[in-house]
Amino acid sequence: MEIIEHPPIFRIPAVGPLSWLWSGYVPDHVSYTWLAMLVLIVLAVAATRRVSLVPRGIQNVLEVIVEQFQQLIDDVIGHEGRPYLPLIATLGLYILFMNLMGLVPGVAGPTTNVNTTASCAIVVFFAYHWIGIRKQGLGTYLKHFMGPVPALAPLMVPIELISHLARPLSLTLRLFGNMLGGHILLAIIFFLMGLDGLLGWALRGSVAGIVLGGIGSLAITAFTVGFLFPLKILVSFLQAFIFVMLTMLYIAGALEEGEHHAAEQHAAQHH
Amino acid sequence: MRRSLIIAAIVILAVPGVALAQAPAASAGSWVGAFAVLAAGFGMALAAGLCGLGQGKAIASAVDAMGRQPGAAARIQTAMIIGLALIESLAIYTLVIAIILLFVQPIK
Repeated sequence: MEIIEHPPIFRIPAVGPLSWLWSGYVPDHVSYTWLAMLVLIVLAVAATRRVSLVPRGIQNVLEVIVEQFQQLIDDVIGHEGRPYLPLIATLGLYILFMNLMGLVPGVAGPTTNVNTTASCAIVVFFAYHWIGIRKQGLGTYLKHFMGPVPALAPLMVPIELISHLARPLSLTLRLFGNMLGGHILLAIIFFLMGLDGLLGWALRGSVAGIVLGGIGSLAITAFTVGFLFPLKILVSFLQAFIFVMLTMLYIAGALEEGEHHAAEQHAAQHH
Repeated sequence: MRRSLIIAAIVILAVPGVALAQAPAASAGSWVGAFAVLAAGFGMALAAGLCGLGQGKAIASAVDAMGRQPGAAARIQTAMIIGLALIESLAIYTLVIAIILLFVQPIK
């Protein structure tokens, strides 16, 4: 991948306790993940330092954002989903911020590295299983993997296992592929544009070069500013939203299965 | 029309093979590189086209439903976006495979 990447603005040299890193510096996606964490923590601390009943300034902004998350949770999971607001809102803001970081030239977007997205997906994977087990107990939760009819268990267990294991994989690859695809597209456009491309052609001096290179440069600039960057901003929001939405659906699935069973047993007792 | 398309496909598929056959002492690895590029391009084209078909069907149904029931538009839109993400991820898998073939080159 190095051939299409440009070095980011800053790199943290690997000194002291980090000197075991063979590359000489902290990997870019890790250091820029730290930057994202730092910004989000500073924002959260600044918003909650003096909490007032009538929110002003940054507290107001963050309250609106968190309320949006809460409304989404109420819509998708229901009221029993409220304890999981910290997990879901943190994931959403963290991923959204890292996606948007990738748009800034000279800043490495951490979500264009598969390790970053895999870490988020693995957290979601263990979290929703833990939530399901805590809600229903280990035995009841595991019983769901056997399907509705006990005779079908040998068939259902492998299917369920594969479908559950595919969830973190698809979460990882969806976010990573979308972000990296957009990144590569931008890189290709920039290479088309640069001193080896249209701009260099325009600057070389011949009349045809100036006309074609100039028109081409203007067209590509207009295309990038007017279409590609808005598209990437849209994709950044959409992918963060989808990640959070699927997380909520998985948690709702882990919670609902119990209720479904309870309702069935309830109905059976009534009959 | 169809015949010329088939001939074009054969020519496109055969050219790197011919070029490689003429290269002196081409090692087995260079074959893999050429076909990796081909596979990445064709695979991505197929995936993008079929993903577009699938997403088009989904969006058509969703817009139809929104037109019939404007009151439920928000819920339909949410369901549509989730569905689009799930369909799109299949094309993204192909994109990831293409990127791995082109840049990581696990088989040389």
